This record gives sequence, C-alpha cells and structure tokens, in this order.
Amino acid sequence: MTEPNDGTPITQLSFDDALAAFQRTVAELETGGLPLERALALFERGTALHEHLARLLTEAELKVQQLVTRAGGALETIDVAPDAARDAE
Amino acid sequence: MAGSTRIFSVGEAARAIASTVRADEQLRDLWVEGEVGRVTISSAAHAYFTLKDERAALQCVWFRDDRVRSPFQPQTGLRVVAHGRVDVYEAQGALQLYVDSIQPSGVGDLAIRFEQLKAKLAAEGLFASERKRALPPRPQVVAVVSSPTGAAWKDVCQVFARRWPLTRVVLVACQVQGEGSAESIVRALRRIEKHVANLASEGRATEAPVLTIVARGGGSMEDLWSFNDERVVRAIVAHALPVVSGVGHEVDVTLTDFAADVRAATPTAAAELVIPDRVEYASAIMRGAERMRVAGTRLLVAARRDLDAERRVLDRLNPAVRLAATRQLASDLLDRATRAVRQRIANASSGEARLAEALPNLASRLLGERRATLAEAAAALAVLGPQATLERGYAIVRKASDQSIVRDPAEVRAGSRLRVRVAHGEFPATVASEEERLDA
Repeated sequence: MTEPNDGTPITQLSFDDALAAFQRTVAELETGGLPLERALALFERGTALHEHLARLLTEAELKVQQLVTRAGGALETIDVAPDAARDAE
Repeated sequence: MAGSTRIFSVGEAARAIASTVRADEQLRDLWVEGEVGRVTISSAAHAYFTLKDERAALQCVWFRDDRVRSPFQPQTGLRVVAHGRVDVYEAQGALQLYVDSIQPSGVGDLAIRFEQLKAKLAAEGLFASERKRALPPRPQVVAVVSSPTGAAWKDVCQVFARRWPLTRVVLVACQVQGEGSAESIVRALRRIEKHVANLASEGRATEAPVLTIVARGGGSMEDLWSFNDERVVRAIVAHALPVVSGVGHEVDVTLTDFAADVRAATPTAAAELVIPDRVEYASAIMRGAERMRVAGTRLLVAARRDLDAERRVLDRLNPAVRLAATRQLASDLLDRATRAVRQRIANASSGEARLAEALPNLASRLLGERRATLAEAAAALAVLGPQATLERGYAIVRKASDQSIVRDPAEVRAGSRLRVRVAHGEFPATVASEEERLDA
C-alpha cells in the first residue's frame, strides 16, 4: 500500500485529510503480517497523525469573518471579533 | 310560475335555506373581521354576540368548549377576526356564524396571511421534502445570515468556538426586523451566492462557504414577520447552498423554517446541527490510537518470536560474521520498534493530558479511563521482554539436545537432558522417571 498523500507534511494537513490518513494507517497496521520496517514506518506516521489531530482539536481557535462590500461593489471577507462585527451589509 | 304554486311550511323553508347555505363551501370555513357588538353569555356558558361593520351585522355563537380554551375573549367594541362556519339555526330561522376561534384583529391578520401564504407556497411544492438538501459533514466554512448586533449571532459563534473551532464562520450582515428587513435578508443570500461564485471562478472554491445558517433570536410574530415574507421564502428555496434556519425560540414557526433544508428550533440549535462536537472526535481518535497500540504490540510480539527462532538457528550454525551482522540489524530494528511504541504511549499520554486540560468538563472522565488503559498498556509492554518474566520467578526450559523450548511434558521423556534458564543464569537438569513423577 502506498502513501496516498502528495507529500504534504503531516503538520500541514487539514483535519479531514489527517483523519483519513490516520484511519488508513491504523487499518493497515491492523492487517498484520507486515514486514517490521513497514510496521515501524506506519507506527511513526500514525503517531504523528494522532499528535496532529489532537493538536488541531484542542488548539484550534475559531476564525470569524464578515463578508463586506467594498466601494465599487467587490465582495471581500475581513477578520472580525464576534462582538465587533460591522452593522453594515 | 311552477315554484310559486307550492306552499312551504316554515320548517321546509328554513330547511331549504339551511341546505343552500350548507352547500356553499366558502361558508363552511371562513374568516370574518368586524367589530364586536353586544356580548351575552348564556347559562350554559356559550357566548352570543354580533359582528358588525358599517354596512352589515352577523349573528355569532361561540360554544362553551371552544370559548373556554381561548386566551382571548370578545368584548364589545373590539375589532376581531373570527373563524368558523355559517349555518342556519332552524328553530329560530337565524343565520349565524358558528365561531371556533377568535383573535384580535392585528394579530389575526398576520396569522391569516401566514396560513394563506403557507398554503400557496406548499401547493407550489416549495416545502416538499424531496427538495431538502443534505448538509455537508464538518463544513470548513459556514455563512451566517444574521444581525451583527443580535444575540443570535453571538450564540452561533459561541457554539462554534466551543464545539468545533476548526470551521470558519462568515457573517453576512442583514436587518432581521422592521421595514426593509425582508429585502435585506434576500440581499444577504444573494451576496453569499455571488461570493461563492467569485471564489469558484478564482479557483478558490475550497475557501467558500458550503452552507448557510439563517439566524435570529426570539420575538413577537410581528418581529419575526420578515421571515414569513414570500421573497425571503423563495430566496431560501433557490439559495445555492443548503440552508439551516434558526429563527426565534422553540415555539416560533416561520415560513423560513419550512423553506430551509433543515429547521432548528433556535440559533444555538442551528449551529449545533451543522458541526460535530470535538469531544466526540477526540475520543474517536483516541480509540484509533489504542487500536494502533494493540496492533503494534502484536507485531512486536511476533517479531520477537521470529527473532528468537532465528537466534536459535544462528547459534546452531555457529554464525559467521555476516550472519551476526544480520542478527544485529534485526535486533536493532526490534529495539527501535519497541522505543517507538513506548514513545507513542508517552505521546498519547501527554496528548490526552492536554485534551483533558482543554476540555475539562466534557471529557475528563473519559480521558481518565483512557489514561488508565494506556498505563496498563505501558506496563504490559515492559513485561514483553523475557527478563521481566524471569525476574518474577518463571524459568525457560529447553532441551539440551536442540535448544528447543519445552511447552508440553510430552516433548520430553525420562532421562532427557534439559537446560533451565532463570533470571540470573542457567543450569542443567534431567527429567525424572515416570515413577518419580507419580511420587511427586
């Protein structure tokens, strides 16, 4: 089984991608009968994915934005605090 | 004229009138608005009153059972909207409105318009369940149509921050009540569609919202009225993204709720519907880590067994340098694997300590259990090596002839030479005869 990612470092994977990779890794490790080198590589990868997922879940901070209309009509999202959003369309 | 020669009895005439009235569908189910005239309550607690306007008056009767259930009672001079059927009370030849409900005029207007619009839009199929779209799981970006100053927007943000802060929330501000609010809501929905289309054309589709929450806090029927506006309803049905409505309190129902793909009782409930709870995911990935540990341990046990078998073969072959190197390599690999498993368990413990800290109220019990499991696993791993077992007083018994491990008394016979390995060394032994065994 090949690594189905495109070489993106684990710490830069999105939650969904990391979760999918983690599930595949665990499943492959559970198939058994693997050469030790392969099992070890899977173990190290699974460990890193688990760490990354736990970090994303605990350290993520909600990003709040507002869709605003610039002069000229162009739409743009800007970062805002939830209680400091602009009262404008 | 043939009809004029027939003389009706009073009863027949009254019945003829009654059957004509009853045959008219419109009179069986109608709303009548007018001013309440004199009200009389009978000894049986039925209410009798007239409804009138500048041009006419209509006798009304409101029977006790319906009347006592109503929070609103007719009073002389009030403008009301009454609902019921028109029928003839033959004993008195009286044409009457048999009332089943009454509302004050203003509210009644809205209620009637609500029902009429709901019936009309439902007939067009706008609320049909086949139209409802599924919500994407774990949306990365969610648009929220709401007032920036309202409680609903803050409630929605709080839910996202607590449960699933991995989602980005984009406020699309609009007016949620008063003059012009319906148009404002429609414009907000259009802006989202334009924004999504813009991002898609720039190849940035993954940054675009994938669903829209329409949120507003509770209020009177008048306050929430823009969410019953036909333009708003049509804009929601036609919206490019799935829509979740969270308008008003639990008891409030708007046409927006019917039009949305999913209706939530409140803004908070709407936010909770569209994202998972990170505590559930935290425990799911911990279960994954646990499965990984179990599989890894199993692999290590198998690898150690293979290595032991290999070592025995090598010992017998009086190994050459190259074979010794191979054995060294295998041994190193096994050591690395063992370290990796131990490291993993240590990492998982610290990761879970962090989770426990971050999500104290929600997950501490669960995490406590997980940590206990990991501690047991770490201990189990430590005893995987034979030395720890020997230290506990066990021995490894091999045949002196071929060094194979003895697992069954049938493998040896009286007089067989053995090697017994204990924690601090090895000594020879001989198997006793059958008689001696029986004596023991």
